[in-house]
Amino acid sequence: MGQTLDLGRRIELVPMDTHFHDITIGLYRQENAQGTTFRVHTYSQIDGAQERIDSVNHAMRVLGGMEDTGEGVLRFPCGATHLLSVKRLFLESCKLGMDDDVSMRPLTILDKKSGLHISATAQSNAVYTITADRDEKGADRRIRLVAGGLAKLGELEQVKEDQVCFDCGMTHDPLIGVLIVRAPNVRSVLRELEQAASRGVLAAPSAQN
Amino acid sequence: MHEQTIKPMKPRDRVLAALNRAPVDRTPTCNPTSVATVELMDLVDAPFPNANREPELMARLAATGYTELGFDTIMPVFTIIQESSALGCKIQWEQKDNWPTVKMKEPIWHKVDDIEIPSNLLTHPDTKCVLDAIGILRKEYGDEVAIIGKTMGPWSLAYHCFGVEDFLLLSLDDPDHTRQILDKLKEVTVEFGVAQIEAGADALTLPDHATGDLVSGDYYDRYLRELHIEFADRIPIPLILHICGRTVDRMEYIAQTGMAAFHYDSKNDPDESIDIIKERIALVGNINNPETLFSKEPETVREEVYKNLDAGVNLIGPECAIPLQTSIENLKEIPNAVVDWHAEAKRVHG
Repeated sequence: MGQTLDLGRRIELVPMDTHFHDITIGLYRQENAQGTTFRVHTYSQIDGAQERIDSVNHAMRVLGGMEDTGEGVLRFPCGATHLLSVKRLFLESCKLGMDDDVSMRPLTILDKKSGLHISATAQSNAVYTITADRDEKGADRRIRLVAGGLAKLGELEQVKEDQVCFDCGMTHDPLIGVLIVRAPNVRSVLRELEQAASRGVLAAPSAQN
Repeated sequence: MHEQTIKPMKPRDRVLAALNRAPVDRTPTCNPTSVATVELMDLVDAPFPNANREPELMARLAATGYTELGFDTIMPVFTIIQESSALGCKIQWEQKDNWPTVKMKEPIWHKVDDIEIPSNLLTHPDTKCVLDAIGILRKEYGDEVAIIGKTMGPWSLAYHCFGVEDFLLLSLDDPDHTRQILDKLKEVTVEFGVAQIEAGADALTLPDHATGDLVSGDYYDRYLRELHIEFADRIPIPLILHICGRTVDRMEYIAQTGMAAFHYDSKNDPDESIDIIKERIALVGNINNPETLFSKEPETVREEVYKNLDAGVNLIGPECAIPLQTSIENLKEIPNAVVDWHAEAKRVHG
């Protein structure tokens, strides 16, 4: 009798999509023969909702290097889950409007605090080394910060203070491009996530302002 | 309460029997408070805040608790502010993804003489919306599913109208004045409750937020026990008292009120709570919201459902209004787990 679907486990949610009539968009994880796959879904049936889902799908493929396995089901080429990374990728993809140009992000950022250009470069063993364009005072600390931020945001393994890698043993340059932008501000990202999660939780009157 | 020989029951019959602590074919799943989520709002195109203010949307969204999630009840009164709005409180209606709240920093009354229950209490758009939604649901679902309304208790209304801090301070400084306020406000509770019965409600949730964090069991005894006994006398359908937080220190008093059920919080252990109430009142609950339903996976939901069923809790449901971002699969797991628990029990006991 119901219209809800078995889409797997919902792992992330944008409760109000500001780019399309405040619809709710969910990211669902499914385990199957292809490894871990993901589906972007909305229960909204208003005109254009499916086009909006298609645009988020497209953004996840371009920004994050995901593959479409057909019928809008996405996966990483390695077949691994990369849970935190895919959640971040989904949130970043939902920030883009349907008419926005989408392209893979560079693996170099301007670190506003130090003025340094900080890069992530994949080595032959799929380990990313974080480097700065100048060897000045404080650069080591900013490099460590970015490496730590990548590890925390994307659930990467920290090989050394300046090196990280994905647990699948493969490179994911597009994902690094998504993650490195937020890596220097990982604390504020986590605070934002906490705030978003607490929204919509009803407090008893005694706990309200 | 579970007996093997009971014939399959309709959801409404099952719920009403359980509220009367009569035999049931299986433990009912019950949401005395909201199970609305942002995804369900999309599914039926009935988003907050409009679904709190337009009866057709309110009814449509509420029905998903039965049609989509599989609960034995439909509860359309998602918020705790409908009658406070009718009383004149300032309301922050918020957006789709958040709960409307009363602006309690801007109290409308300061002393008992200020209290004036408006003549349009039941025709104000925000109370009438509830009455109309209940009417729509009754017409649509007949006697198939239990429809639960909600009328706020005087302690909660006092928080809204006088401000939490001011009212709590008054309760310390001037017990007589406090009792006079509660006595006046109780008429709102009765009037709105009776109107919902006339609209078609089968049972009413009565939230009265003498919550464990701010109010002691002694306070409950002093200020609310007698009032709650009076509600059970004056409102002629099963009442489900709802108080958040740890409340074992007042469950003995609550069990004496004559209310049909107590909707209890996950801060209270099911076994401990069952021991206190001693079958004098049904228990409804107590699946944890913020940690389990919101943040964990169906397996954990199932564990909590089983824990309540093992303890003998009469009706199973979330402990309070669920977070609006709760996943549908976690909510569906509540009825699924109840059915499975009974099937397993039948296999074991024959």
